[in-house]
Amino acid sequence: MGRYIVARLIQSIPVLILVSVISFGIMKLVPGDPATLIGGPSATPAELDVIRQNLGLDQPFHVQMWKFYAGLAQGDLGTSLLLGKPVLEATIERIPVSLSIALYSMVLTLLIGLACGVVAALNRNGWADQGAMIFALIGVSLPNFWLGLMLIILFSVHLGWLPTGGYVPWQESFYGWLRTSTMPAVSLALLQIGLLARITRSTMLEVLRQDYIRTARAKGLPEFVVIGKHAFKNVMIPVITVIGIIFSVLLSGSLVIESVFSVPGVGSLLGSAVLRRDYPMIQGGLLLVAWSLLLLNILVDVLYAYFDPRVRYDHGR
Amino acid sequence: MRLTHYNIVLGTVSALALAAGPVAAQQFSCGKTGGNFVFAQEAKVNSLDQHTSSTISTRNVAMNMFESLMTRDENMSPIPELAQEVVEAPDGMMYTFKLRQGVKFHNGKPMTSDDVVASFDRYKKVGILKGMLDPVEKWEAPDAQTFVIKMKQAQPTFLENLSSFSVPIVIVPRENTDAAAMQLKTVGTGPWEFVEFIADSHVRVKRYAGYTPDRRMLTTNGFGGYKVACFDTVTFRIVTEPGARVAGLETGEFHGVEDLPAKAQSRLKDNKNIVLKPLSNFWVQIATPNLSFPPTDNLKVRQAIQAALDMEEIMEAATDGAYRLNIGFQYPGQAFYTEAGKETYNQKNKDKAKKLLAEGGYKGEKLILLTNQDYTNMYTAALVMSEQLKAVGMNVELMVMDWPASVQKQQNTTDGWNFFFTGYGTNTSLGGAEPLRFHSHPFNTYKPKGNVPDAELMTHWNALVDSKSLDDRKAAFARMQARVLDQVLALPFGSLTKVQAVRANVEDFKPFRIPRVSNVWFKG
Amino acid sequence: MTTAVDAAAVAVRKRTFLQRYPVVRRLIRHKAFVVGAALFAIIVFVAVFADWITTADPNRMAIRFRFRPPGGEFLFGTDNLGRSIYARIVHGARLSLAIGLAVVVMNAVFGVALGAASGYFRRLDNVLMRVTDALMAFPPILLALGIAAALGPSSMTAAIALAAVYIPRTARIVRASVLVVREMEFVQAALAMGASNWRILRKHVLPNCMAPLIVQLTFVFAFAVVTEATLSFLGLGSPPPTPTWGNMIAEGRQYIRDAAWITLIPGLALATTVLSLNLLGDGLRDVLDPRLKISQD
Repeated sequence: MGRYIVARLIQSIPVLILVSVISFGIMKLVPGDPATLIGGPSATPAELDVIRQNLGLDQPFHVQMWKFYAGLAQGDLGTSLLLGKPVLEATIERIPVSLSIALYSMVLTLLIGLACGVVAALNRNGWADQGAMIFALIGVSLPNFWLGLMLIILFSVHLGWLPTGGYVPWQESFYGWLRTSTMPAVSLALLQIGLLARITRSTMLEVLRQDYIRTARAKGLPEFVVIGKHAFKNVMIPVITVIGIIFSVLLSGSLVIESVFSVPGVGSLLGSAVLRRDYPMIQGGLLLVAWSLLLLNILVDVLYAYFDPRVRYDHGR
Repeated sequence: MRLTHYNIVLGTVSALALAAGPVAAQQFSCGKTGGNFVFAQEAKVNSLDQHTSSTISTRNVAMNMFESLMTRDENMSPIPELAQEVVEAPDGMMYTFKLRQGVKFHNGKPMTSDDVVASFDRYKKVGILKGMLDPVEKWEAPDAQTFVIKMKQAQPTFLENLSSFSVPIVIVPRENTDAAAMQLKTVGTGPWEFVEFIADSHVRVKRYAGYTPDRRMLTTNGFGGYKVACFDTVTFRIVTEPGARVAGLETGEFHGVEDLPAKAQSRLKDNKNIVLKPLSNFWVQIATPNLSFPPTDNLKVRQAIQAALDMEEIMEAATDGAYRLNIGFQYPGQAFYTEAGKETYNQKNKDKAKKLLAEGGYKGEKLILLTNQDYTNMYTAALVMSEQLKAVGMNVELMVMDWPASVQKQQNTTDGWNFFFTGYGTNTSLGGAEPLRFHSHPFNTYKPKGNVPDAELMTHWNALVDSKSLDDRKAAFARMQARVLDQVLALPFGSLTKVQAVRANVEDFKPFRIPRVSNVWFKG
Repeated sequence: MTTAVDAAAVAVRKRTFLQRYPVVRRLIRHKAFVVGAALFAIIVFVAVFADWITTADPNRMAIRFRFRPPGGEFLFGTDNLGRSIYARIVHGARLSLAIGLAVVVMNAVFGVALGAASGYFRRLDNVLMRVTDALMAFPPILLALGIAAALGPSSMTAAIALAAVYIPRTARIVRASVLVVREMEFVQAALAMGASNWRILRKHVLPNCMAPLIVQLTFVFAFAVVTEATLSFLGLGSPPPTPTWGNMIAEGRQYIRDAAWITLIPGLALATTVLSLNLLGDGLRDVLDPRLKISQD
């Protein structure tokens, strides 16, 4: 197992290099530069030139690229052009924001998604099954940014229950955090709830058909033991895979939701870095995100092996 | 040596104050002290380094914390701020600034002329408008309270430039002046001191207990004046969604907001809890032509376009009704305002347009309007303009990019686009030559064919910049504006009103180019 | 009498048709599939016949008629520029489907080519899979955003950006099926009999990947429609005034407090389209390839 993890980590290095080369290539093609954004519409071209000099944007592209890699070799991810602070620091201070909302969303997903899936499977073709699956289907069909806007209309504008956006750290006030992060978390969770409910249901149904469940039932074990002990444990295997995928989506895919709710998270940091041409922020931030996604994948595979002893990693893939 | 007119202006203020007697001469005092004022602003703040950022969003926040030697008053005329007095040598070759006594930085250190020297040194290195220091030979600090600027050549508009609020030379402690661009520590002399800045979320400031106010005036005046921090803290929240700003104002989550959508205004007018504070003449909505690319290289075609436009309809749609029709590049009431070129504006004359198109030999060449989505009013102006031009038989296409890409295209290329949509905000309100600088040469927003500028235009421009007397400069401004409009070197659509709003319990909030949080307080 | 005979004849023909294609029979018995197919057919019809369905110009502005709520003169109301939302929804269907289709076609061509090459040719596999790993390590929206920003906003760009996001995922699925098929006895037998690589790919491997591919492409279609709207919403999709649903939501968002219908209606159109594709995809998966799990992202 240890050797496997090390091998996977080594394999991730060329992938990360590719990630940064691809993103450099893309950014090279993006027209416009951050000077125009710092300057705003009233800036004169002379002012823009000063801003470019200040930011080092007057240097040729390959020089900028070389400087980035030279810094990277020393563990320096560079400095954000627009935020005036190191990329590492700028990203790290956003992580608790995105992570807390992702975890909140994850909790909602697990509670509601698993419950819907299990209830649906146990009531196969009953009204609970139909209801849960229609709910899941709607969940996977609603565009989340639009759902976010609709939640704002309902809960902020009409009912006035929740603030329209912003973020209060949980360390500062848990209640404030709950008020600000509920709508983003729900918007993010609905799609994942739908996915998880559907996969849980189909896995449950498959497991319930297996011989050992029939044996367990035949032995006269109480139904909750059959379901709770035998079936559910086996359901965990595909569910963990799906959770890993969902988590990576939550971590990185929240750009739009963060922008809708003005949440200062990692997604909006990187998204606005692209829109504002903050090259170092994109390069450095993307590497950090890609790296954490790769680590997450490795973790998922390890967990998978743990839950399913049939999976072995001694032979390479 | 002689006193400049800036001292005279100041002298008049104090004299008036004395003459008016003790009742009217009362200096501002907070009706009530305390509270956290939450102001929702529209644009993201990049950095609070006021030397190296010219965005409105930075200025909105930073100018409550920083101060400079001179600034602008309510009518945009120069006034001293950290300077007690300014003396200009008769030959215009030297300026002597006496600093106000007892001013301290937020770190507790008294401000001296040494800090002023260091701040100017930093600005010369990284400051965005460092070009204004080009005619300066050197600056020095003969004693702790005196700062002297010696010129290479006299520059009649030097103090005007120095007092500009666009990217002002704010005074910061010497120990902070090594900071790289965008990284200045937020330590100034203003009534508010920095607490925290969470990018994309908020900036929080608190009352600076050691603030020494400028007692020469009765209350705030433009960017300067007598400032008092009534609130304990102020939070500038960044809320880019207009709908969210409105909702937050209605629920009381925000006490003040900027850029209220016009659609919401009609409803909020009747809301007793909310007071609208329209700030007219925030910017001139404008489109500039590409003179090197057909069909806008053809004067007749440009004039045809000018003749076809209905400015009311364009501005109505672009601003949802929050606008004023406005001729040219200054607003009524400003020193340089002129109606020169009036006949070119808002003609709505389709027949004339068609005739001019025929005369110019227009044969359905594509007219490309280069605009952006980041500023919706620019986008909408282009959209409505395209419809109006289609109505006179032109073949119009919209090219919509994001703001940085559209600026890059406009500045670096002379083909593939015909009109670029923008707005002149700061430069217009600064007055003087600033708003017409965009149409002077060499300047890569003005793109004359073959890079040869219009000779008549340049004569007026030189007169506008170099004339010693204010009246000569004003006359040159009028002539240049007339020329710009006559040659259709720009299409100024009208002036945009920016609506700020506060909750009804917020007292003494006066709309201005930045949300001023001094001398504002909560009632009850 | 004749009608009865005709009907019987049709019935006979139908039975033989369905007997010959049991897949079709299973599909039309699948409730979700039928509902999805019907919904999708309606949307396709609207998209194709947009010009007949509404004669109103989706870009025609009428400032006097701004912010008219739905009902009355304007079925879905008007937006901030007085344009008919109904006309824009109808024409928006065309663009959404066109972009979705373009993404699906690019996915089919490049996803299959890369997946098959990777699964079949061992030496290529390592390189191609590292590249897809790298592309998949990007947050999808961010990758699309970067590509769209680089190429400049247009409908074509949006399609390319979305294709770039999903091609690696499609290639993975094709590769997985190829790996399975390649080891099967009949393929090994064909190889032993000296069949060329190309022939084996074409005759044996590809037909066996069709089921998972079709299912995957249905979901890609759904995701493409949503993500295109997301790109438009972020300002990098088809440039306005092109009436895409994403643009409509983006343009209406600043009026959600006072004119919510501008945002609400295009969102419903979008959700209905995605729903129909999801139903279709579910049906296809259940019938074509019951082993497959729900698509991953």
